[in-house]
Amino acid sequence: MTDIALNQSRWHFSNWPVWLWSFLGALIVWVASFSLAGQGASGMLVAALSFAVFTVLVGLGQMFVITLGPGNVDLSIPATIGLASAVAMKVMDGQNSLILFGLLAALVCGLAIGGFNYMLIRLLRIPPIVATLSASFIIQSVGISYGRGLQIKPPAALTDFTFSRIIGVPVLTIAAVILSVIAWLVLNKTIYGRTVSAVGQNPRAAHFAGLSVERTRLLTYLMSGVLAALCGALLAAFSGGSSLSMGKEYLLTSIAVVVLGGTSVAGGRANVPGLWGGALFLFMVSTLLNTAGFGSGLRDVLTGLIIVIAIALAGSRSASR
Amino acid sequence: MKRTIFLLALAAATTSLTTIAHAQTADKRIALSNNYAGNSWRQAMLQSWDKVTQQAVADGTVAAVDTFTTADQEVPTQAAQIQNLILQGYDAIVINAASPDALNGAVKAACDAGIVVVSFDGVVSEPCAWRVAVDYFALGQEQVEYLAGRLPEGGNLLEIRGLAGTSIDNLLHEGIAAGVADNPQFTIVGEATGNWDQATAQRAVSTVLPSLPEIAAIVTQGGDGYGAAQAFRAAGRDIPIIIMGNRQDELAWWKEQQDANGYETWSGTIAPGISTLAFWIAQQILDGKDVPKDVTVPYLSVTNETLEEALAATPVGGVANKEYTQAEAIQAIEDNL
Repeated sequence: MTDIALNQSRWHFSNWPVWLWSFLGALIVWVASFSLAGQGASGMLVAALSFAVFTVLVGLGQMFVITLGPGNVDLSIPATIGLASAVAMKVMDGQNSLILFGLLAALVCGLAIGGFNYMLIRLLRIPPIVATLSASFIIQSVGISYGRGLQIKPPAALTDFTFSRIIGVPVLTIAAVILSVIAWLVLNKTIYGRTVSAVGQNPRAAHFAGLSVERTRLLTYLMSGVLAALCGALLAAFSGGSSLSMGKEYLLTSIAVVVLGGTSVAGGRANVPGLWGGALFLFMVSTLLNTAGFGSGLRDVLTGLIIVIAIALAGSRSASR
Repeated sequence: MKRTIFLLALAAATTSLTTIAHAQTADKRIALSNNYAGNSWRQAMLQSWDKVTQQAVADGTVAAVDTFTTADQEVPTQAAQIQNLILQGYDAIVINAASPDALNGAVKAACDAGIVVVSFDGVVSEPCAWRVAVDYFALGQEQVEYLAGRLPEGGNLLEIRGLAGTSIDNLLHEGIAAGVADNPQFTIVGEATGNWDQATAQRAVSTVLPSLPEIAAIVTQGGDGYGAAQAFRAAGRDIPIIIMGNRQDELAWWKEQQDANGYETWSGTIAPGISTLAFWIAQQILDGKDVPKDVTVPYLSVTNETLEEALAATPVGGVANKEYTQAEAIQAIEDNL
C-alpha cells in the first residue's frame, strides 16, 4: 500500500517526464568532464549548445519519420547534408547578397530528396530503410559530380551569424530552440502532427478514421529532407565550407538522439524536448572521451557502448510504462 | 558499337606502332581502385589521374585505363571491388587503399592472378604489391621541427588525427611523436580525430578544447587545419600556429591572417597528382622495368615565401597539386633503387 502511494507521489521518479532523463545524463557527463579536466565547464556547455543545434535539426526530421511507425527511418540524412551544403555554398559563391538564394536552393534540394525518398517508398514499394539508404548512394554520387569535392567558402556574413552570441548564448541555439517549440506545436496542436502520431500507432485505424495517411507520410519525408538540408547549409557556414563527408556522423546521431530523447522507436509517440537532452548528452560523451584522452579506436568502442546502454535503459523505461 | 571499338583498337594499335618505346604496354589495361571521392584532395587526385591516363591512352602507351571509386570509406566494399577487377582481367591495378592490412587478401589474390598491384597514398602492406608514397613519417617530424624553429621555448601541442586505421594516419602520428621526442620542450596535451575533414575537425577540436591549457601550436594531417581555426574562433581563444595541409581554403585563410596580422605557418602534404606517378610506375613495371617495391617521393610544401604563388596556382576549393610525367616516374624509380 505504501509502495503504491509512493509510486503515485508527484515526485517519484517514475512520474518524471521522460525527456528529463536525457538531460540528467547530459548533466552527469558534463560534470564528469569538467571535473576530470579541472576546468572548462562553461566552454564545454557553450560548445555543446552550438553543436547540439545541428543534431537537433536533423533529429527533428528523423523524429517525425520514426514516429510514422515501424520501419520508417531516414538514412539519407548524411548524404542530404553533404549535397545541400555543396549546393548552398556554390549558389552563395561567397557573396553576402546571395545568402538567401543559397539557403533557398539548399531547401529546394532537401525537398527534392524528401520527395524522391517518398517516391521510392510509395511507388516502388521499397521499405524506407532500403529506399533511403539507396537514395543516399545516388545523392552522394550526384554530390560528388556536382561539387567535385571543392570546399567553397561561405559568405562572411553567414559565418559571422553562425558564430554570433546573445548574452553568451549562440544565436543559432536560440533559433533552434524556437524551431523546436514550433515543431512541438506542430506535433501536438495541428491535424498533421496528430495524424503522424495516429499513423504511427495504427495506420489502418488512422486510414479508417478518414486521415490522409499517405499525404502525411509524404509531408514527413519532405520535412526530414528540408531540415537535413538546412542543417547542411548552416553547418557549412559554421565550419567554413561544405564537404561531402561532413554529414557522416549524423547517421547514427540523428537516430540516437531520437531514441535517447524518449521517442518511441516503434512509432506513435514523439518527444521534442528529449532531442535536446539527447543531443547535449551525445556531445558531452565525446567531450568526456576526448578529454580523457582515449585513442580513437577505444573512443569509438566506448561511444558505441554508451549509446547502446543508454538506449537499452531508455527502452526498458518506456516498456515498463 | 563493336565495329567502333574495333576501329578504335585498330587506331590505338597503329599509333602504338609509331611509338616503339611503348610497344610493351600498348595492349595493357590498367584499373584504378579508389575507396573515397568526397573531399577536395581525392577529387584532385581523380582529375589528375584522368588527365594523365587519358593522354596515355590517346598516345597508345596503354590500351585502356578505367577508374573505379566506391562511395564509402569501407574496407569490404573495396575488397569486393578488387575481386571484380581481378575477374575483369586487368593487367595492373592501382590502389588507394582503405586499410594497410585489411585488403591484403584481395591484393594477394590479384598478385596470384598475375596482376601488377601498385598502391599509393593509402598503401597496402602485402609484400607482392608496390608502394608509392611520400615519407609521411618525415612529414610528421618536419611539422615539429618547423615549430621548434618558431617556438624555441616550446609549448603545448594539440594533435589532430586522420582516418583511423589508415597507413597515413599511423605514419604521421609516429612521425609527430618522434619529432616531439627529439624536441622535448613540446608536449602533446590533446588529441582530436578530424578525419581530414574541416567540419569533423572543428567538432572534434571543440569537444577537447575547453579542457586544454594554452595551446602553442596544432599539428595536423591536412584538410583539418581550417576547421581547427574555426573551433578556436568559436571558443573565443587565440589562434595558435596551425600547420596546414595545402588545401586552398587553408591557404586562403593563412593569406588572410598573414595580411591582417603577419600570421606565419607551414603547410605540407602529399600532392594528389601522386596518383599519376603510381600510374606511370605501374606502366613501367608492365614494361618489364626493375622497380623497387617502395618508391618514395618528396611531399609538396608551402612556406610563407611561396604562399602567394601556391595560392594563385590552386583552384578555389581545391588543393595544391603536381602531376607527374613518365620521365619523372623513371627518375623517381632510379632515385629509389
